[in-house]
Amino acid sequence: MAETPVMDRLIRRTVEQHLPLNVHFDLTYRCNERCVHCYLDHEDYGEVTTAEVKAVLDQLAAVGTLFLTFSGGEIFLRKDFFELLEYARQLHFDVSLKTNALLVTAERATRLRALGVRRIQISIYSADPVVHDAITKVRGSFERSLRAIRFLKTQGLQVKIACPLMKQNLTAFRSVQQLAEELGVPYILDLTITPKIDGDMTLLALRNTGHDLLPVLQDPVLNPRVKGGQEVMQSVPAVGSAVSSGLESSAYDDIPCSAGHNSCYISPYGDVYPCVQMPMPTGNLRQQRFEEVWYGSGEMRRVQSVRESQLPVCSTCSIRQYCERCPGLAQMEGGDLLGAYERACELAELNARLAGVEHPVSALHQQQRAAKFNGTFSAVLPGTGSIPGLVRIAPMRAT
Amino acid sequence: MTEPRLVHNPLLAWRAIEGEVVIISPEDSVVHELNATASFVWMQANGERTPEEIAVLLAAEYEVAPEEALADTRELVAHLEAKRLLLSSPAAEGSRHG
Ligand code: SF4
Ligand code: SF4
Repeated sequence: MAETPVMDRLIRRTVEQHLPLNVHFDLTYRCNERCVHCYLDHEDYGEVTTAEVKAVLDQLAAVGTLFLTFSGGEIFLRKDFFELLEYARQLHFDVSLKTNALLVTAERATRLRALGVRRIQISIYSADPVVHDAITKVRGSFERSLRAIRFLKTQGLQVKIACPLMKQNLTAFRSVQQLAEELGVPYILDLTITPKIDGDMTLLALRNTGHDLLPVLQDPVLNPRVKGGQEVMQSVPAVGSAVSSGLESSAYDDIPCSAGHNSCYISPYGDVYPCVQMPMPTGNLRQQRFEEVWYGSGEMRRVQSVRESQLPVCSTCSIRQYCERCPGLAQMEGGDLLGAYERACELAELNARLAGVEHPVSALHQQQRAAKFNGTFSAVLPGTGSIPGLVRIAPMRAT
Repeated sequence: MTEPRLVHNPLLAWRAIEGEVVIISPEDSVVHELNATASFVWMQANGERTPEEIAVLLAAEYEVAPEEALADTRELVAHLEAKRLLLSSPAAEGSRHG
């Protein structure tokens, strides 16, 4: 949602007062697709029951949550999905859905509309059915998702296409752009293939290298700052995180992101994390009430206390403005919630270069080069610590 | 004849956050924010009260003259009805006096 003065005030207020404005609730990890890049384990280990979900929704409404995203897994696999949705709407939540839409029929689209669902995000990986179906591993899934988008559009619902870009579909981004335009829906290209939620890193092999992403990062329509590009009026950036709520505000300026500040994630087992991309257990809603976790968890408070200006490496980074650092990925990939990590630095350097910065080097890379240089230098000439200036300057020349 | 009762448009999303109501209409994603007194009126619009009844409650809550409370309530209600945030619903037969 585009930032407006009213939204900005709301975000500022909820960040300052630490109110959980925005909650992402995965109702199930079961799925009827088997996407090659999926970070979830689709087994059902005992999902929260209908009554448990309703109790959590009551608690969320009472503490001030307004934006609620139901996601999964595939939400329509829950037999009680419409019952839960109806309950959420009776509690006046602003409900968004994330789905592959395989099970969305014309009749279901009508029900979603009647229940006042505001926005539905659907994953499409390519306009080529063969490419899309190879990623979902379900034959005919492209046609079914597309048909569902049309049903939903006919109902006047707001649909958004999310397209995670991986090796399998990198060149598909233009076709997805075009498809979205034909359908009259916004889209988001997500460059972030994440580790599995249990910390397994094997999926990172599907990521495109920074170099391979150049056509996306240089595309003038996707990146209006690129010279010669035309300004596009879109309410959402066309390249970004499909995980993110899309709420933007200057209230987030000195905090890494909304996670743990005014947003959080709930798993189908009742676990509460600051964000789906920050799977750090802070409590469980089968044993505790939501407000106990939100206000009482030490881990949640730790996440909440982080300030951008205090990040040991990133606060000194000269290309910070080009960086999309995610603290969850910093934790998962770099092992440190406060740290820098390779992928963010790689993309930030690329973005900075495209914006015209000469020889951009991230603070992490500067440190690494300094350490390497220092190590080599020390090995050759022990005791050269008296000339630190050399060590600091060298990496800056190295690019 | 029974007077119409005020009720929230059921398609809206809304929440009272620290006493101030924020409303979102799903069709256009427009966000509305009500100040404290408007939020008070909003919270009373539960399908059982007329604008006049709400004005009486408003006058008592904020210690203002009843006429002033009624004029303000009417103005606010007209504004919210024009935006289809509030609707008037006929009272269920015999459910209330008036
Ligand atoms: S942890 Fe990462 S994905 Fe989650 S809100 Fe923060 S930046 Fe976004
Ligand atoms: S580019 Fe690297 S060092 Fe710089 S802010 Fe981003 S993650 Fe931190």
